[in-house]
Amino acid sequence: MVKIWLASIACFVEKYNFTDPKEAMALQNFKIAAEKMGHEFNFMFRENLLEIPKYDAVFIRATTDPLYTAYIVSKTAWELGLKVVDDPKSIQICGNKIHLYELFEKYNVPYIPTIFLNKDELHHKRILDVFRIFGRPVVVKAPYTSFSRYVEKVACETSFREVAKRFFRKSDVLVVQKFMPTTFDWRVGVLNGEVLYVCKYMVPKGRWKHGAKRRGKPSFVWGRTISLKRENAPAKLKETALKACELVGHGLYGVDIKEINGDYIVVEVNDNPSIYAGYEDFRNRDIYSKIIAYLTD
Amino acid sequence: MTVAIPCIQSSGVTLVLVVSNIDLTTDLPIMKPSTFLESSIKDFTLNINNDYRYLKAGYYVSLHAEILGNQVIPSSENIIDAYRTPILLLRASKAGIPTMPYLVTDSVKQIISEFNFPVVIFAVNPFSYNGFKTAKNRSALYRALKSLGMNYKFDVCAQPLKGEMISLKSVFGRCELNRDARKISKRVYEVFKIPICKLHIQRIEGKAYLCGLQPLKNEEISLHDLKMISEEISQISKNGENLVG
Repeated sequence: MVKIWLASIACFVEKYNFTDPKEAMALQNFKIAAEKMGHEFNFMFRENLLEIPKYDAVFIRATTDPLYTAYIVSKTAWELGLKVVDDPKSIQICGNKIHLYELFEKYNVPYIPTIFLNKDELHHKRILDVFRIFGRPVVVKAPYTSFSRYVEKVACETSFREVAKRFFRKSDVLVVQKFMPTTFDWRVGVLNGEVLYVCKYMVPKGRWKHGAKRRGKPSFVWGRTISLKRENAPAKLKETALKACELVGHGLYGVDIKEINGDYIVVEVNDNPSIYAGYEDFRNRDIYSKIIAYLTD
Repeated sequence: MTVAIPCIQSSGVTLVLVVSNIDLTTDLPIMKPSTFLESSIKDFTLNINNDYRYLKAGYYVSLHAEILGNQVIPSSENIIDAYRTPILLLRASKAGIPTMPYLVTDSVKQIISEFNFPVVIFAVNPFSYNGFKTAKNRSALYRALKSLGMNYKFDVCAQPLKGEMISLKSVFGRCELNRDARKISKRVYEVFKIPICKLHIQRIEGKAYLCGLQPLKNEEISLHDLKMISEEISQISKNGENLVG
């Protein structure tokens, strides 16, 4: 007998989504949750994009950026009237930190002290100016950063110029931020204006960010992830995360927040947040069913 | 930083011109993108640039104008969509602009199973933006995918080639080709509002089909184009509010 599904969900993935067993397990958990709820859940790869119109909803797990295939999938699904996570507007905003910080500034979301630097400003006087305002070191960030890549700490003019020149190859504007070291960053998962999960992304010993490149090697070393029950997370933290997400949309986001002297300062809002089995879902097992319910609502 | 605000009061519209390296033959005041990006001018913004690609100055000008709450030509969303060939074709087709069928893939096999040779291939990756390749056989198709897909890492957008490929300059939707091409250029401008761009169209049995859109190089803008751009700007300064869609 042919099974009749309530709704049909395409989960857009790339091969690399299955290389980490914890991520592969999380993807299976989504499938199990969807099928338990009576929905079809198929993994859709690049070669199956023609099938998008067959589905009711598209859930993107491949890395998003307005320049990647994931944006084409998202926008195509959106134009066809399908429910889609991540929606194209969220990809556009979260995929570019300049966009994000301009919104934070406009709507008074507390965020890390930030300066935008355009290509014409890469000169001695301006660099000294930046060091005078923020002290040394400072953090130079490419607007298209994700997974801790293209974010570097610089303490002298030579390094500043070297990093900035590299990032300027792709973007005409860069982000420069005050260096604010903490032992962990909060990660608050938000779905449709509600907190979904809360974690602490620990910074590995001797490093300054959650994911740090191993010296001389292409691989990364990642800090531990400590999960909390969302009910037990500080109210002010959750409030700050929700305020930041409100500016982006009503999809699925992972908000990075620093806690400094009891204040919560937003580092960034990410669309397409990582969900690894045993990490983000450890204290909040219902995240899979909640996301599926949102996609099929 | 305080910035002098160049503005024109005409038909109730205050127009801010933002120009990168284009020397316009106009009396209207012009502001450099870098100056505009540091300002907080809240007015109608006309972003004139030969290159609006994502992450480039032209994109950031439109984005900044939107954050300020300004009406802007072109919008940041339209910039992203117009330069991503599959989205350009999808939205154009929805708007009734003739387009060719297309396939987004990184697989030679899939292209061969969908279309007959020859095919035309556009890049869909974060790095290439210039031009397209045509492939008349399997080995040429492999070469095109290897090159435009950056060693098969990224997808390409394949379309069947059934006629002749023509590239044309479009300035505020105006171009100097035959009636069909002019109609496409006008409609693409109405949908995406990209003031200056290069359009790739395919002409099959006298009918034109949209295939792609790319930025113009500065050196591709002739004196005649500059004149046309300046005329259009003057026109918009008179009827500005009616032209923002």
